Amino acid sequence: MGDKKNDILQGTLVLLVLRTLASNKRMHGYAITARIHQVSEELLRVEEGSLYPALHRMEQEGWIKAEWGKTEKNREARFYSLSALGRKRLQQEEESWRRLTEGVARVIRYA
Amino acid sequence: MAWYRQFRNILRPSRLQRDLQKELAFHVSERAEELRQSGMSEADADRTAHLQFGNLTAQIERTRDMDIPQYLEAVLRNLRLAVRSLAKAPAFSLTVILTLALGIGANSAVFSAIDAVLLRPLPFPNGDALLLITQAQLKNSESSVAPVRLEDWNRLNSTLLGISGYYAQDSSELSGEMPEKMKCEYVAPRFLQVLGVAPELGRDFTTQEEHDGGPNAVLISDRLWRRRFSGAPDVLGKTLHFGKSSYPVIGVMPRSFQFPDREVDAWFPSAPDYTYARSRELTWFTAIGRLKPGVTLAQARDNLVTVQSNLARQFPKPDAEISPRVELLKESTVGSVKRSLWILFGSVSLLLLIACTNIAALLMSRATGRQHEIAVRFSLGATRISVVAQELAEVFVLALLGAVLGLLVATGASAAFRSLARDLPRIDEIALNWRIVAYCLVCAVATTLLSGLLPAMRSTRRSLSSSLASAGRSQVSGRNPLQLALVGAQVALAVTLLAGAGLLLRSFQQLGRVYPGFDPRHILTLHVATTWAETGDPAGGKQRLDRILDGLSTLPGVEAAASSAFLPGLPNEYQLELNTAEGRAETEPKMRGFARFVTPTYFATLGIPLLAGELCRDDPGRSLIVVNRSFANQYLHGAGAVGHTLLVQGNGYVPPGHISGIVGDARENGMDHEPPPTAYWCGNVLQPGTFFLVRTHGEPAAMTETVRRRIHEIEPMRSVYDITPLSDHISDAYAENRLRTILLACFAVTAVSLACVGLYGTLSYLVSLRRREVALRLALGALRNQVVGQFLAVGLRTAVLGCVAGLVLAAAFARPLSGMLFGVSPTDTVTIAGVLAIVLVVSAAASLIPAVRAARVEPMQALREE
Repeated sequence: MGDKKNDILQGTLVLLVLRTLASNKRMHGYAITARIHQVSEELLRVEEGSLYPALHRMEQEGWIKAEWGKTEKNREARFYSLSALGRKRLQQEEESWRRLTEGVARVIRYA
Repeated sequence: MAWYRQFRNILRPSRLQRDLQKELAFHVSERAEELRQSGMSEADADRTAHLQFGNLTAQIERTRDMDIPQYLEAVLRNLRLAVRSLAKAPAFSLTVILTLALGIGANSAVFSAIDAVLLRPLPFPNGDALLLITQAQLKNSESSVAPVRLEDWNRLNSTLLGISGYYAQDSSELSGEMPEKMKCEYVAPRFLQVLGVAPELGRDFTTQEEHDGGPNAVLISDRLWRRRFSGAPDVLGKTLHFGKSSYPVIGVMPRSFQFPDREVDAWFPSAPDYTYARSRELTWFTAIGRLKPGVTLAQARDNLVTVQSNLARQFPKPDAEISPRVELLKESTVGSVKRSLWILFGSVSLLLLIACTNIAALLMSRATGRQHEIAVRFSLGATRISVVAQELAEVFVLALLGAVLGLLVATGASAAFRSLARDLPRIDEIALNWRIVAYCLVCAVATTLLSGLLPAMRSTRRSLSSSLASAGRSQVSGRNPLQLALVGAQVALAVTLLAGAGLLLRSFQQLGRVYPGFDPRHILTLHVATTWAETGDPAGGKQRLDRILDGLSTLPGVEAAASSAFLPGLPNEYQLELNTAEGRAETEPKMRGFARFVTPTYFATLGIPLLAGELCRDDPGRSLIVVNRSFANQYLHGAGAVGHTLLVQGNGYVPPGHISGIVGDARENGMDHEPPPTAYWCGNVLQPGTFFLVRTHGEPAAMTETVRRRIHEIEPMRSVYDITPLSDHISDAYAENRLRTILLACFAVTAVSLACVGLYGTLSYLVSLRRREVALRLALGALRNQVVGQFLAVGLRTAVLGCVAGLVLAAAFARPLSGMLFGVSPTDTVTIAGVLAIVLVVSAAASLIPAVRAARVEPMQALREE
């Protein structure tokens, strides 16, 4: 499995994908990885092995919608976009992430 | 909604696979592209991208699991596997499918009848709130209600939304060249409100139209609208002609509205303020009511009784003698066929049970052949549940196919039902609908579990499959008591059904042997249209009647003609409480008899002999009556009856009568009833529903046209209708009885054949299993008849045990049947002996074939085979 230090913490992938899709209209899977990689200034790297199962699961849950479309290079790709349900989910995920980091930070500082 | 998308994916797995492949491949190629742009060579870039991505197939599978739920996939896999393995055993599959098609089909057909007739509410809005209200006067079974009392009840009660009523009259419509008979209903106010139905076209009657002397108006049925006006929308305002008046059509009723029956052509208002309608004695309405929401039948009954007891104080005569009776309209409509239908349902359920047992036995035989396959699956790590699920999936596929075919059978059967039993109530409401489809599906699931679970559990017993690994050549004989027990159960169920059918058939046979006391052959019956209004002129009516009878009896080929208010030989509800003019002691039994109203020629026409006194004459001064022997013997010391005068208690219609003679007993109330005490009033009048009876030399139906033409000559303004031989009427009265018997006999025959197939199949299987053992014994010198005898004994023992169990079941089944039997006791020895003989002979034949085949084994060949 190689070096895991840049891997994404279990459970945060959903948050990252939803957040990425929230500020971009529609993206294919590769673009989502690239975007996360770039915005995190190469700190985070999404494992392909977990990205696609996660995307498909989120689609089944109805958080994101998928459709086939063309890239600017005129190649066919599967594009994902956020649904109304996904937007709600994103809020929940952000809230729980905020609580988690705050909690962890407090523990680090005062424990 | 995830399940929906997942379900959609499962239905098109190849498409899903293709999409995933494309999506993931795109990712890899984008990565490679990026690597190339950063300066890597094309080959290196591709390799790195692929390495980074990992195993593409594994990734696709992991992603795919998100799109397809595991359990659904397992179910589908099981079904696919089932179809494949069944396709390899077409004979087995076909047998099972056809057996189930028959079983489920028959079951669903009867269920569709039960659903339409018994379960569904009457076809009116909230039809379960509709009531039939009758008035009982003293002990006389009077069913119609006086119009004035109907209005009182309607006004004074607090539990009903409304009470209305109707009576029928066949009239002659005179617009065309020939008078056309129409079935008209005269209805009390609020008729449509109580039923909760509005006209499809036009409007209900207005209050003016419901008053005596108000404007004429008629509502017509959809049937008449299409027949007479070709369904033209401008029918409103067109007129129908009856007698000297014309009636404008004010509305057309919806097609579904067939009340009180499907024959109705038109509805007219019957004015409550009409002179005769004010009499508290004269009754003519069949009354219906609608419960207020939340009111129970018992509350409504109590309320009406209270209302009536108040009326009794106000009008002691005759209201003190009257009590209201209330029952659900649905009950009164379908009550008669209820028991028949449940009996049939019980029979087809037994039949289905036999089919399931049969299939279970087949499956067990099949499972033994597959023990190796099952053992292999276990050794590969399959759980018992998954193996059982796989076996059940096979049965379910078969059951489902059987149910689909069964649905076709049911559709055909309900069409046959409708044509065979036209007179059953609500029979035309039987139709294929989603409830029947759902019922078929439930049947399929039930049969799967009933027939599949036991064999599946048995064949997956671990101990069995491991012991089989060591079996093989050395195994000699296995006992299969469970399979034989299943066959025995089939025989038992078949005996039960056959005994029921046999009893009904015997009843029918007995019914045919009864001498009815009159001669129903060679009699043609018919109606001549007339109206109730014409009965206001009795002298004219009498003249008309005599003229028609003279005209008929002088026709060549006619021996005699008579008229009667009721058909002879068919049940009649008109029972009266009578008394002699000099009165009877309190200690003597109440004098109660059925009243029939006939012309003096009635007895000659029907061949009822005069025993004492003389036949009545038409005597304008007083009314004469003739009583039958039962009446005379029971109440008036036999021959001494002649000369007595009988008074009618509490019935304004029937005048006192002077007994002029005694006639022989006739089964006037039906072949299956002993002749009841009957009094015949002579001097029938022409009124709606009067029957003319014509005795012909030859075939009565052949005289139809001659008779019609003769009456048209005498009465050109009147339609003649329902020209039917009396024997047809009598046989129609037993239509339900006959249908029930025929169906039960069919089911019984099917059951016996199924049981035989089961016996034959199981025994054949046993023979094939013990082929080597038999061969060995033959080689060692056993005689062939010993082998035959041995297998025959197995079959017969099973059949005999089945018969014993079946007789016990039949005894239980006979109880609900006993009310339908005639002249046969539920434990009739002839029937039971016949049933046992049939079943034993047939099962002996079914066992003989495999037994003989076992004995024909060529020892050397069989032993060398393995």
